[in-house]
Amino acid sequence: MNLISQHPNEDILLDYHNGRLPITHNIVIAAHIELCAHCRKELRFYDEIGGVLLEEAEMVPMNDDALDLALARIERPYENEVEKPLPQFLEGFELPNAIKALEFKNRYYAAPGVWLCEIDMPKQDQNKAYLMHVKAGMQMPLHDHRGKEFTMVLKGHLSDSKSDCFVGDFMDAEAGFAHSPMIENDDDCLCIIACEDKIIPQTLLGKMLQPFARI
Amino acid sequence: MQIDLLERFWSVKVMTDKQTSNIAPSAQSAEGLILAIAKDKCRASFAQLFKMFAPRIKSFVIGKGLSSQEAEELAQDAMLIVWRKADYYDPQKAAASTWIFTIARNLRIDMARKQGRVKTLPEDLWHDFDEKSQEDEMQHGQSSQMLKAKIANLPDEQKELLMLSFYENMSHGEIAKSLGLPLGTVKSRLRLALSRLRNSIDKKMDELL
Repeated sequence: MNLISQHPNEDILLDYHNGRLPITHNIVIAAHIELCAHCRKELRFYDEIGGVLLEEAEMVPMNDDALDLALARIERPYENEVEKPLPQFLEGFELPNAIKALEFKNRYYAAPGVWLCEIDMPKQDQNKAYLMHVKAGMQMPLHDHRGKEFTMVLKGHLSDSKSDCFVGDFMDAEAGFAHSPMIENDDDCLCIIACEDKIIPQTLLGKMLQPFARI
Repeated sequence: MQIDLLERFWSVKVMTDKQTSNIAPSAQSAEGLILAIAKDKCRASFAQLFKMFAPRIKSFVIGKGLSSQEAEELAQDAMLIVWRKADYYDPQKAAASTWIFTIARNLRIDMARKQGRVKTLPEDLWHDFDEKSQEDEMQHGQSSQMLKAKIANLPDEQKELLMLSFYENMSHGEIAKSLGLPLGTVKSRLRLALSRLRNSIDKKMDELL
């Protein structure tokens, strides 16, 4: 198990904690947190602050029958959630629960050696979340971003001009940042990606890839 | 005979309501209540905890992207999880309010994906992770009292940002717009506030040397 070295920064974690990230981007943070004790500690610190504020918060009255309802609900039997089966193409991957809990659309091949699979979620503006699987040794076309793009490596080794990422590592690409991520030769790479808009490929190859990728 | 019983029940109920409805959650009693739920499935303890926290959870989330009804439901769901997962609560690791807050904020984060079921992911409770990570075992949260005091001692401008972020639930950008401050200023001021509130053993070591 490698040591995670790339983390979402404080601002992002705070936005996540406060529920201010798009739901697509929450997935990437949630997956990272599952694997990263350092960021869990940070979140727990925010929760301590929240807890103190909760103790001192004003009270907004609940409905008249709220307590009765609560007492009835606790009596109802419940079963722990049955883990739903993963689609066949994801079997064999070691995935955090935050990913396993998702609904997936069908995967499709964007290019030889590259498949994508969109996460099935309620639509929220232009935000999308998807899994991307790329064979070892390939390189993504140079592309720019219109908005915030979060990436977390689930398997393999991904690198770009800014960083070198292994399982659990988190990458954050801001609008205007152009990169051409390289999938290193050691292993095939699987990532979870959340982005705010269509990625903008900057090379001809990229332009050719876009209709296939439907990103 | 029946009327007597009813009257007695009613007056007892009213008395209970008066006693508990305005109790501020003090650090000790809330912890004890959760432990009583864990140990004995004590409904009376749950009722007390519900009266303490449900209206506060509701106040925390209402009007910030959540309607009154949604806030009510979130508070209900949070307390249900508290009941079901009381076994997982460890008073050594966190104050009751921290634990309950974590449950509520995870529900809020998950709100858009909620499919009518009350899901709990391991992160809600830290439990599964604590078993895996030794680092977490070493980390003990600061006491509520200590943190409360630190918050009270923050310079006003930092306190204001903390409230806007954690309580009003505004993003950095929204705070900047609302206060007419540059985004960079909001981010760095908030970071300053947070660094003052951290439970840093390293900080203490530096002070001792």
